[in-house]
This record gives sequence, C-alpha cells and structure tokens, in this order.
Amino acid sequence: MHGRGDDRFRLTEARAAATGVTDGCSMTHESAYPPAVAPATFALAFDASPTPMIVTDARAQDNPILWVNSAFLALTGYTREELIGRNCRLLQGPETDQQEVARMRAAIAVGEPVALEVLNYRKDGTPFWNGMTISPIRDAVGRIAYFFAAQADMTDKRRAESAMRGTNDELERQVGERTADLEHALAQKTALLHEVDHRVKNNLQVISSLMLLKARRTPEGEAREALQNMAERIGALSTAHRMLYSDGDVAHFNLSDFTSDFLSDLEAGLDPERTRIEARVEPIAVAAAMAAPLSLMIHELTTNAVRHAFPDGRSGRLTLDGHREGDTLVLVIADDGVGLAAAPSNPAGFGRTLVDMVVRQLRGSIVWAEGVPGTRVEIRVPLQAVA
Amino acid sequence: MTADAAPSGHPLRILVVEDEALIALELECLLDDLGHITVGVACNSSEAIAVGRATAPDVALVDIHLVDGPTGVEVARALAADPRTTVVFMTANAKRIPDDFAGAFGVIAKPYSERVVASTLAYVAGCRAGRPQAHCPDGFSPSPACAAAR
Repeated sequence: MHGRGDDRFRLTEARAAATGVTDGCSMTHESAYPPAVAPATFALAFDASPTPMIVTDARAQDNPILWVNSAFLALTGYTREELIGRNCRLLQGPETDQQEVARMRAAIAVGEPVALEVLNYRKDGTPFWNGMTISPIRDAVGRIAYFFAAQADMTDKRRAESAMRGTNDELERQVGERTADLEHALAQKTALLHEVDHRVKNNLQVISSLMLLKARRTPEGEAREALQNMAERIGALSTAHRMLYSDGDVAHFNLSDFTSDFLSDLEAGLDPERTRIEARVEPIAVAAAMAAPLSLMIHELTTNAVRHAFPDGRSGRLTLDGHREGDTLVLVIADDGVGLAAAPSNPAGFGRTLVDMVVRQLRGSIVWAEGVPGTRVEIRVPLQAVA
Repeated sequence: MTADAAPSGHPLRILVVEDEALIALELECLLDDLGHITVGVACNSSEAIAVGRATAPDVALVDIHLVDGPTGVEVARALAADPRTTVVFMTANAKRIPDDFAGAFGVIAKPYSERVVASTLAYVAGCRAGRPQAHCPDGFSPSPACAAAR
C-alpha cells in the first residue's frame, strides 16, 4: 500500500514526534526510559502498533496532524498524504455528536487529557465509532507542543451493546406478557375462590337458620334437642369456615384462632361461676382440609364435657390443650367432672362415635382415659397426612 | 356472658335487609328472643331504602348481596345518611365493603353465631347510648371510623 519513500517520510516524522515526547513531556520523568532504548525505537514500536495513533502539532496553526501510524490509516481509509497537515475534523460528519466535539476542544484548549467516543467517517463515507484518548505533550518549558491520540474502533462493541439491549428488551417484553397472563389467571382464580367462599358461607348460614327455625317450632324434648345439637355442629363448622381464607392464606387455618372463637360461643351458654374453660392452644397452622373435621371433633368433645361431666349443679373445669410435637398435633381435652363411667349412657354416644370416626379420617389416634378425677381425652393427629 | 342480651326496657328497633328468606326469618326470631323489635325485612335495595325511610330504625342489619345484586353497599350509604340509624353489615362477602364502609358501623361476618349477633347488638346499644364500650365483640369488625372513635 505504501512505497519505500512513504516509509522513510513516515519514520522521519515519527522520530520528530518521538523526540518531542522525550524532549518535552513534562508529565513523565526522563528516567522512565531505559537509556538503552533509543527514542527511534519508540517511533518504530508505535508505528507497528495495531492501535491507531496520531500526533498533532499544537504549535502550528489549527493543530494539524504531524504523524499517523499504519493502523490509523487502515482504520480511516485515508493515505498518509491526505492526513498530514490537516486537522482531525476531516473525520467528522453529519452524525458526529457536536457536544462531544466541543468537550474535546475545550479539553485541548486548556491542555487537559480527554477521552471520548464519537461517530467518525472513513474516506469512503462509512461511519465508525471512534473511541479515543487525547493527551497533551509539553516541551521543556511546559508549553504544549503536541497532542497524542490513540483510537479504537468501537463500532462492533456498540453493535453488540445495541443487540444486547434489543435482546433484553425482547426478553423483558416476553416476561411482561407472561406475567400479565399469570396475573390475569390469578385474578380470575381469586375471584372464583371468593365467589365459592361466599356461597359456602351463605349456605352454612342458611342451613344453620333452617335447623334453628325448625328447632324453634319443635316442642321441647329429644327432637328439639337433636335439632339444636345439629345447629351447634353446623355452627362449629361455620366458625372453622369463617377462619378459612380470612388472612389470605388459602391453604391453612389457625387452630388457636378457631378455638378462641369457638370457646367464646360455648362459654356464652354457660354459667361462668360453675364451669370454667381454660384453653392453651398454640397458633398452629393446620391444613385447610383438616379444618372441618378438627372443629367438629373439638366441638363434640368440649360440648360433651360441659353437658355430661358436671351433673346436678356440680362445678368444674374444662381444659383444652393443643400443641405440636414434631409433625404431630396433640390435643388434650380434660375435665375434672364425674368421669366416663359415671356419665349416663345417652345419645351422647353419637358424639363419641363422631369423634372416633373423625380421628380415623385424620389418620390419628385417640385415648379416652379416666382422669383423676374426670375424663381425659388425648388425640394425636399427623399434620401432613391428610391430602 | 348472659349480659350480652339486650337490657330489657331498651329494645332496639331493627331493620333486616337480607335476601335469604330463611336467614331473615331466623334472624327475626333471634332478635325477638333478645328482646329487640324487627321493624321490617327487605330483600332488595329499593325496598330496603323505602322501609328505612318510613321507619327510621335504630339499627339496620344489611347483607351485601340482595335480590337485585350487590346493592347492600348503596343501601348502607342511604340508611346511614339518617343519623338515627346505625348500619351494621352482615355478610359472607366482606371483601365487597368499600374502605369507608359506606357509613356503616362495622360488619358481622357470615356465618355468624347467635352469640355474635347478641354481643354486637349489645355493643351497638352501648355505643348509641354514649357509653364507651371496653371490648369490641369477636366476630364483629368495626369500620375504620368506628375503630378510630373508640
């Protein structure tokens, strides 16, 4: 591409530039050069560097290019003759950011080093992103003699960044779309859950009202009592159901919340002077599927106790203890009443059957024992087993 | 706990707004047992507002879902506009209640127990009589305005 004459010219100029460096660089100690390396060696090294470089003459009119290396010629497509003596602005074009150019000029004017990335144009008019650093080189008395600039073609990096941005935008758009779909599906599911929940609660209220209405219209006696007992069982189920979905957790229900509400209902019908109920139930999160059987079981055991353990005005105490042992829920319901053997055999037998059935359904175990005094029932239910 | 029953001599005049006939009927019986007076039962919004205007009840127990849709909220707003009436929602659909409770005093969640109805009415009666009430009954959730006033 270049003739021999070209090369000689180039080396001469390069030497001049390099001499400027060694003579005048106020920023560098002369001792930075090992004495064995002649300045010309640097000129040769710079010329052979794959990094495009130029040196401009700060003392000449309009800061003309004094020296360029081959890499710079390869980058811009100009010949050395076309560049030497010209100001670098010949590389600028319509899309060059003039703000960046102004920043560069301001730095050059005050003799500060500057780094910038601007769109430049090759001789054939094709644009490229030129990332450059420009440093002033001072002479022995500190005046700026030259500017040295090293360039890098940033076009590929820019393109890669832009492609990456495009890919990211596309990914974000897809994620956004999927998220919107999922949110829509979740909103529909939530609306459906609320609708079903509302209907179940309303139906429980209707069933309870039906039972109580029929009880009111039934003469006092066994039938009326049976209806009232049924209404109470439905009430216990209702209390459990009211607790479900109440704090946004659809999968669990809190056993201590249930017992505190349920026992308030039970106590409302008792003489507080005569029967005391003490509950110590840990706030155990129980699977929602266990809510109904557990609440029925607690209802049967506690109502049975308050009904049958304290006959003939006998006063007493009922305790309900609920805690967790590993993956097992342990419920102990105990009273200090007359005990199982003394209690009259009556339809309460249904209550006991119900409890045994529910415990079996929950894959648990139950132990009925005579307390000292009274009755003690201990139920152990696995917390994970119920599907 | 038996103190939950209304003090005799101070019965509340109550309007029941409920579209389920069975629930309304049972509620009427319960209110009667508690010594209160049911001044009317309405199952849709226009009827509820008309009966409310005609009777100016002490308390209106208002379900959200009525025969003509989820109109209980506007019924509550209309009835609560009369300062003589305390509105209490009674619903299985508390999520439909707006943030300002449409002027209502609070909500009894369905399915409710008779005890909660009794203790809530005793609580309302106490508040209406200007007696500060120490404890809000469980099963009853006061509106933000009512909770702030306590």
